[in-house]
Amino acid sequence: MRFAVLPLAFGLALPAAAQHEHHHHVAPPPADSVAWRMVPMPANMPMMPGMESLVPPTAPWLPGLGIDPMQFPEAEPRQVVRVEDGDTLDLTASIVRKTIAGKPIVMFGYNRQIPGPLLRAERGSKVIVRFTNDIEMPTTVHWHGLRHDWRFDGVPGVGQAPVERKESFTYELRFPDTGIFWYHPHIREDVQQDLGMYGNMLVDPESDAWYAPANREEVVILDDILVDEYGLLPYGDDSPTHALMGRFGNVMLVNGDTAYRLEVDRGEVVRFFLTNVANSRTFNVVFGGAPIKVVASDVSKFEREVAVRSVVIAPAERYVVDVLFDRPGTYTITNTIQAVDHFRGEFFPHVDTLGAVTVSGREASPSFAASFADLRVNTDVSEDIDAFRPHFDRAPDRRLELTLRHRDLPQITVAMMEMDTLYVSPAEFNDPMPEMNWLSTSKQVEWILRDLDTGRENMDIDWRFGEGEVVKIRLFNNPKSFHPMNHPFHIHGQRFLVLDVDGVRNTNLVWKDTAIVPVGSTVDFLVDMSNPGKWMAHCHIAEHLHSGMMLGFEVGDPGTH
Amino acid sequence: MTFATLLLVAAGIGPGSSVAECTAVDPVGPAYYAIELVTTRRVPGSYMATGTASVSYAASPFGISLAEDGSYALDLSIGVERLAAARTGTYVAWLTRPDLSEVVRLGPLDAEHRITGSTAWNKFLVVISLEPDGAAPGERWTGPIVLRGMSRSGKMHTMAGHGPFQSEPCATFGYR
Repeated sequence: MRFAVLPLAFGLALPAAAQHEHHHHVAPPPADSVAWRMVPMPANMPMMPGMESLVPPTAPWLPGLGIDPMQFPEAEPRQVVRVEDGDTLDLTASIVRKTIAGKPIVMFGYNRQIPGPLLRAERGSKVIVRFTNDIEMPTTVHWHGLRHDWRFDGVPGVGQAPVERKESFTYELRFPDTGIFWYHPHIREDVQQDLGMYGNMLVDPESDAWYAPANREEVVILDDILVDEYGLLPYGDDSPTHALMGRFGNVMLVNGDTAYRLEVDRGEVVRFFLTNVANSRTFNVVFGGAPIKVVASDVSKFEREVAVRSVVIAPAERYVVDVLFDRPGTYTITNTIQAVDHFRGEFFPHVDTLGAVTVSGREASPSFAASFADLRVNTDVSEDIDAFRPHFDRAPDRRLELTLRHRDLPQITVAMMEMDTLYVSPAEFNDPMPEMNWLSTSKQVEWILRDLDTGRENMDIDWRFGEGEVVKIRLFNNPKSFHPMNHPFHIHGQRFLVLDVDGVRNTNLVWKDTAIVPVGSTVDFLVDMSNPGKWMAHCHIAEHLHSGMMLGFEVGDPGTH
Repeated sequence: MTFATLLLVAAGIGPGSSVAECTAVDPVGPAYYAIELVTTRRVPGSYMATGTASVSYAASPFGISLAEDGSYALDLSIGVERLAAARTGTYVAWLTRPDLSEVVRLGPLDAEHRITGSTAWNKFLVVISLEPDGAAPGERWTGPIVLRGMSRSGKMHTMAGHGPFQSEPCATFGYR
């Protein structure tokens, strides 16, 4: 998918070797041009021989129409907008400026905010959103996780046409489920979403007893962004770069900023509504050792609350967690991972600081420590699932293989990939091959969903289901493909249970709209096809989606809705 | 022979490689990460023994199970076939880091030569030893090793000073 024609000066790429931060002094690119700069690499990682002069086979692109970033308005912090049933909200995507890592960066925001406005709605309500596009390329808004009318799902070519610059589209939203949801573009997410086009919808329950009591609520969006000393690394113009692994950022963002801070009293229970909007990164969030209780995920509460030490959240997933801060002092919130260094053949511990919670010596009032210790059993969730249990043990209705093919990649990349596949991690928590990843584009890499029963792939798959049908979909992430990788798989407009992973039954179910499929694993989804319409399902790594990894399906008779 | 082919041969994944094709089958665990246990032939009755340590993710509310430090939280199901009953002593399963710096005793194999366990190490070895009867459970094996296997991640090893990086100064990266 191409951008609209942009008045940018392309073709001024500096030789990449002259831009490698470890080997050479780098001259800043001219302010009015866009040039490829070598992707930042860890200091201990050598450059691949023979790759010094390579750049991705697409023109480099940066937002802002070549205009001085200081000419754009500074992005504003997110505002909370409470929307009542029948309300109309205006939402505009526009170009903004934001300072990240000390650099003014041209980004995109909704209503000039990054993240976009937090829409707080009542369950069961309906809201009109009059959307206007004032960024420099077509866009749409996808309302991730909402089981609403497919015509307003924001998928170009399915429910609507792309919204061109200066044009508008009116969305009608329904909120049938309680929980945390989010909105983002469905055109070139690798660019638009990465540049700040994301926001949350928090749907309040009808009863105060829906969740256990908490002293406060925090809506937290996790993200990363890829920058160097000159600012944002360019994107691919007519195709995404980083097609193999997705674009991992090197600066962590919480609610669009690098300095997330929270001050609480001793003994406070804080409810975090977490959303991962990163292009590719899966986070392992640790709250400085504070005890964590997992309450809910994408579309429902869990059958049973669970005590954990960290929260593993893949792109597009959401988790609702309660955290008890019972000691005065500072709790550092981190992304704590075991990164992979293929060069040294090792895992190594890596910690990114996401923010900090400062706990005062003042006692929280009221104290909810006792209810925090109680792991609730949500019988309402189990009772809702009961109707689906007769389907648990039946054979899968559809079977998908997750794989990829490639063409015209640099020979050294092909050779190194073949060696890498001697071992591939179940999930990638860092980019262990930033150079090869950067050089791969969707022109060379096609990520594939293959229907194992028909042989059809990606958008040639045209599944049809009856309204209310319960469908078991088995996904197999082939570890013997050219470059296996975890895939956070998203199904639009419906809800599903992750029933089995590698034949092991999940005994604590939760309704999801996005779930990770690890490398080598076979995962069974049980999908409640209750929402009629024309829908998409795809990998939510933005670069994988734009490298083909998507399919369409139809539920019921969309024409009647 | 092309440079790429040379690399592949060097990596042992050229023509004739024993890497099996993986196909979509009924789920039985991620076969890719299963650990083959190989006999040492040091113990009578173990010459024909084979075994597998199946790896699955520990129960978790998340799509993938991690420990707090980011390591994978794994469940292991170990089974050994064609192993004669021990005339004396007990077959005991252990886990150890590749450099043997830490050892964990999983326990004795049952009558069917099976045992389950768990770990949060990303790279490890599975060891089945024959421990003397009456020996108190120790911190590491004292008897002969009967079978051993390596986690799939053990196949990941340094490229420093080899292949395309042969001109890289290994010492810079901690290798001499």
